Amino acid sequence: MHKLRNAHGDSEADLKSRLEKIAGKGKVYVLGLGNTDRADDGAGILVAESLKKHFPSNSFSEHDGVEGIVLDISEKKEISTILFVDAADLRLDPGSIVVVSKEDIREREITTHRVAVALLASLLKSNGKDSAVICIQPATIQFRGEISEPVAGAVNKLVRLLEEIMETRNRR
Amino acid sequence: MRELSVENLARVEGHGGITVTLDGKKVKSVTLDVHEGPRLIEQLVKGMRPEDDLNVIPRICAICTLSHRYAAIRGLEKALAIKPSEKTQLTRDLMMLGENVESNSLHTMLLALPDFLGYPSAIAMLNDYADDVKRALRLKKFGNRVMEITSGRIVHGENPVVGGFGKYPSKKALEEIKVKSRELIPDAIRVIELFGSLEYPAYSEAESLFMSVNAPKKEYGFAGDTILVSNGKETSAEDYKKLTNERVVTHSFAKRSLYQDKPFTVGANARMINMGKRLDGQAADFFKEHYSDKWLKNPLYNDLAQAIEELWSLEHMPEVCDRIGSLEDTPIEKPTRTTGSGTGAVEAPRGTLYHHYDIKDGLIDVADIITPTAQNLDDIEKHMKLTAERMLADDKKDEEVRLGLEMVARAYDPCISCATHMVTLKRI
Repeated sequence: MHKLRNAHGDSEADLKSRLEKIAGKGKVYVLGLGNTDRADDGAGILVAESLKKHFPSNSFSEHDGVEGIVLDISEKKEISTILFVDAADLRLDPGSIVVVSKEDIREREITTHRVAVALLASLLKSNGKDSAVICIQPATIQFRGEISEPVAGAVNKLVRLLEEIMETRNRR
Repeated sequence: MRELSVENLARVEGHGGITVTLDGKKVKSVTLDVHEGPRLIEQLVKGMRPEDDLNVIPRICAICTLSHRYAAIRGLEKALAIKPSEKTQLTRDLMMLGENVESNSLHTMLLALPDFLGYPSAIAMLNDYADDVKRALRLKKFGNRVMEITSGRIVHGENPVVGGFGKYPSKKALEEIKVKSRELIPDAIRVIELFGSLEYPAYSEAESLFMSVNAPKKEYGFAGDTILVSNGKETSAEDYKKLTNERVVTHSFAKRSLYQDKPFTVGANARMINMGKRLDGQAADFFKEHYSDKWLKNPLYNDLAQAIEELWSLEHMPEVCDRIGSLEDTPIEKPTRTTGSGTGAVEAPRGTLYHHYDIKDGLIDVADIITPTAQNLDDIEKHMKLTAERMLADDKKDEEVRLGLEMVARAYDPCISCATHMVTLKRI
């Protein structure tokens, strides 16, 4: 789960236009992060796995190997944006969705479990790709817990919005 | 009294810190404090069936997941008197080679290297060393792929089971590993050249003892039934308690180990010290070029040892794939008894890992897990204390001492989650 500094909540009405704007003009890739064993912490994985059904070459989850996927995308000769989706404690209402620019991610270190998104975003930038993080406020991250109703709703909404965006950008 | 601390040791797995207590320039104590809570895994699996144990045990750690799974399988198979087929054995060898490449590439290039090059992290290193960061990610990706092919998933794969594999890698997948492992050899050589060109600060130097498994057939490898000590002794893995002698300390949730009342080291440098002469290929050439008596004293050489080992793993993969491909698939071997005891010893990337089981009437009665980091903690503290004493005697600033201590701790590639424990400098 991500930790943020200076996070600002996006109103639902603004979300689609925010997503449209950060998605840029090229292809859109979605990379879902999190831990499905910990209730709402798996929200990013659920978004990515749902999008995979229609966009198997453009949507990946943490289970697919984050670093390798980012490396592959960074080396493609195309204009693209990669959207990381993860649960994040924003101290907002559960299910709130916030689009955060990569500069606002506090994560600065790498652990053995996952290379920092900040490094991956920098790597993408060095190869001319853009990136952002879409955060979902969890209600619970209890081990072996069920996903909460508001977060399940947020997952569905995000899948629908991202499908619309990917449909126009990725099928051209 | 003054305290110099690293509250959260970065670029390691898990949560820990370092506390150094000082009286003037005199170091009173150095402790590696483990903040991770107790895991209680050994108690959780009590009463479980062996196959269920394998669903729980690898969750101890997502980076050493296959090492934990393999150590458990080895212990359980001995307890149940199961003899795995040659194909099973070779496929397990391949999965360990994959985990070794995945973990060593990450630790050397992204966790340890920034310290030596003067960067706060690999993120900061990216502007000047973008090709090397990408190299590390390529190697890690490939290691993950080998783990996926052999175990079924990148993390917590369920395919390796007691008695064999649910499914063996296809010929196509084996061919993919052969081709890619050869392609990545120049990347692994670049990693060795980088670490071979570094200055290794001598502040931490002190004699130590080194333990590793004794891989069969006098070959280099990551599993064995006996344990080699650098003093020339060899002990059955079943007698692991005589080697590890676990005890509890007040400042940490991790148990500690002493051998003959002395701290010891496990890990890649221990494997090189005990089995390095068995290496073959270009890895053997680099070992001969870089190995020296310094490796017996300076834990920072563990980074170079991991780099050489990573090359060996890549060079070794095509042969292992050929041998797997030449053998017919074998069914999962069944237990020949329901009551018995067994100890599995494997070399996780960060050192020797033991899983011991007593099984009674088909259910686990006792489980005992001793992780590499828990074994290394006393030696890490010994080398950190020397580092603090010598750097302070050299009038080094607190920030320099902190970095020196962190470099020592990180060199061991500690997995605090596994050990269920790291710097605070206290001045009197």
